[in-house]
Amino acid sequence: MLDLLIKGGFVVDGTGAAGAVGDVGIKDGRIAAVGRVDGEAARTIDASGRVVAPGFIDPHTHFDVQLLWDGAAKPALAHGITSVVPGNCSLSLAPLKAEHRKALVGMFQQIEEMPPEAFTEAFDWTWEDFAGYRNAIEPGLSINVAPLVGHSVIRLWVMGPDANQRAARPDEIAAMQEVLRASLDAGAVGMSTSFVDMDEHGRPVPSRFAAFEELDALSAVLGERGRMLQIVPEFYATDITIARVDQLAELSIKHGIPTTFSPLFDSRFTPDNVPRVLARVAEQFARGAQVWPQMQTRPIDISFSLLRPSLFFARLPRWVRILRQPLDQRIAALKDPETSAKMVEDAGPDGGAAMLADLVVRGGDEAPAHLAGRKLGEIAAERGESCARALIEVSLEHGLDVAFVAASRGHDATDRIGPMLANPLVHIGASDGGAHLASFATYGDTGYLFSEFVREAGALSLEHAVQKITSDTARIWGMKDRGELKEGYAADVVVFDAASIGRGPEKPAFDMPGDGMRYVRDSAGVDAVVVNGEVAWESGRYTDAKSGVICPLN
Amino acid sequence: MTVAAARLEPRPALDAAVVMRAEIVAGHDGAAELMIRLRHANGAESAVTLDPETGFDLLRAGSAASLADLVGQSWLALIKDL
Repeated sequence: MLDLLIKGGFVVDGTGAAGAVGDVGIKDGRIAAVGRVDGEAARTIDASGRVVAPGFIDPHTHFDVQLLWDGAAKPALAHGITSVVPGNCSLSLAPLKAEHRKALVGMFQQIEEMPPEAFTEAFDWTWEDFAGYRNAIEPGLSINVAPLVGHSVIRLWVMGPDANQRAARPDEIAAMQEVLRASLDAGAVGMSTSFVDMDEHGRPVPSRFAAFEELDALSAVLGERGRMLQIVPEFYATDITIARVDQLAELSIKHGIPTTFSPLFDSRFTPDNVPRVLARVAEQFARGAQVWPQMQTRPIDISFSLLRPSLFFARLPRWVRILRQPLDQRIAALKDPETSAKMVEDAGPDGGAAMLADLVVRGGDEAPAHLAGRKLGEIAAERGESCARALIEVSLEHGLDVAFVAASRGHDATDRIGPMLANPLVHIGASDGGAHLASFATYGDTGYLFSEFVREAGALSLEHAVQKITSDTARIWGMKDRGELKEGYAADVVVFDAASIGRGPEKPAFDMPGDGMRYVRDSAGVDAVVVNGEVAWESGRYTDAKSGVICPLN
Repeated sequence: MTVAAARLEPRPALDAAVVMRAEIVAGHDGAAELMIRLRHANGAESAVTLDPETGFDLLRAGSAASLADLVGQSWLALIKDL
């Protein structure tokens, strides 16, 4: 008898093949049959009118810490994601000696915006090596995890305080190779490194002090097992990014490893950037290299409050001058009727409506709840004020701790990005799930892929979109028997409504340790999520299933 | 021109780069950043994106009251004191 039968859905198997109405039978955590499946099952899910697809895989996350108390990586699982890759950008929680914890916590707080209580209240440090970290998270997993080991922590393990001071000596590089080897033996899917990240003191993270010889030596270890090298290139400069593509290609060819870099953003102001990078990627693939650029689906928002100066006001010189003053002077200037009147005047004859009306009050800070999620233009109309006046007054009424978001101000041209996402050499990812907690929601990119690029723009077919975030991802990362609805494969399945799958609005949630705040998005149109044969999310709630695993690799 | 004299000539590439456009763009971490598009002496164009702090510093270095004031300025002169 089957454990679970998902009956009568539109089965999209993840290969890109055309979907068809059928059933998926599951037994012992594996897919037992696909097609017309008859017979008894302990439980049957009626998937009529729904899509049945392999669970989605998110290849760029920072759930390393969250997984210690939340094995579902909420809300990722609710969005249909059944496997995540944490440990990106050179940072993982292992290997880590006890005396180095404080240094790493600082880096995590800087990059992930994780509240300090997360490291003092939510878990006990029971591990030092990578196997220990694996043992710490695996029993509580509801989602599958394919963890990267971070280059910065490998350096910290071997070099201690010198890790972010200098290049490594040959003996230190050899020691790093051994640490990496042990981490791969313990289940790491590869190694991550970064050429851009900073610690909490504004200093480069340790990986940035590595000479090329070090990266080459570590890549040789990755080559022993064909494991992934992930990097964050200097994505703000296209020419340097292209140089990194070339560097990755050399490592890929020399050591026989897949490589990936993220992020890669489109910009309407520099429309040639992504095409240039992709052209070089194509050249390198033609040479035999594997250099996978990761591109996120969601547009980028700009967020700010008057607590800190923002270039958002760069076109308004008086605003810039006032907002760059020390806080007490800034508040005094904003309260000064004459000064604020000039600011409002500078915002334009429409009172700043063209520039400011669509700003949304984010919530999660000192903004009153009734304003959260609402447009400034509406709030201004209610108050009988211009938009610029309302922005100033609402901020002043709450100690300037009112965040506003200007939505979709970058990577937002669907007509350009759709074909990029469809490009077979573009790896859909870079969600940053679990990072930037207090800045913006890093969840819902898979829903947005379907709502914006499949349903609205038609840039990808349903089957192609599913393939891009399931079998393609599993193949690129070497995840064994995952990413397809195929007999014998791991039973990671998502049941969703093609007509409504999407992402909910961004909202604050106070579910981090110490009542810490983060921005999240609920899923939409996802009915059920199955992880290794067990229903882990269904009808809007998480179940008690703990069926996630550290992903076996090819 | 002799080889020695050529070596004494100003290098044309970066020295002659001028700002042709400045825009505020959305940065990876949700901050507003300053994107500068440069035109080089050989006619090539390139872009660089500056984080908020560096962006403000660049505006100050160029005595720019607005983004438009950066256009036409020498890139080398702008970044000299950053």
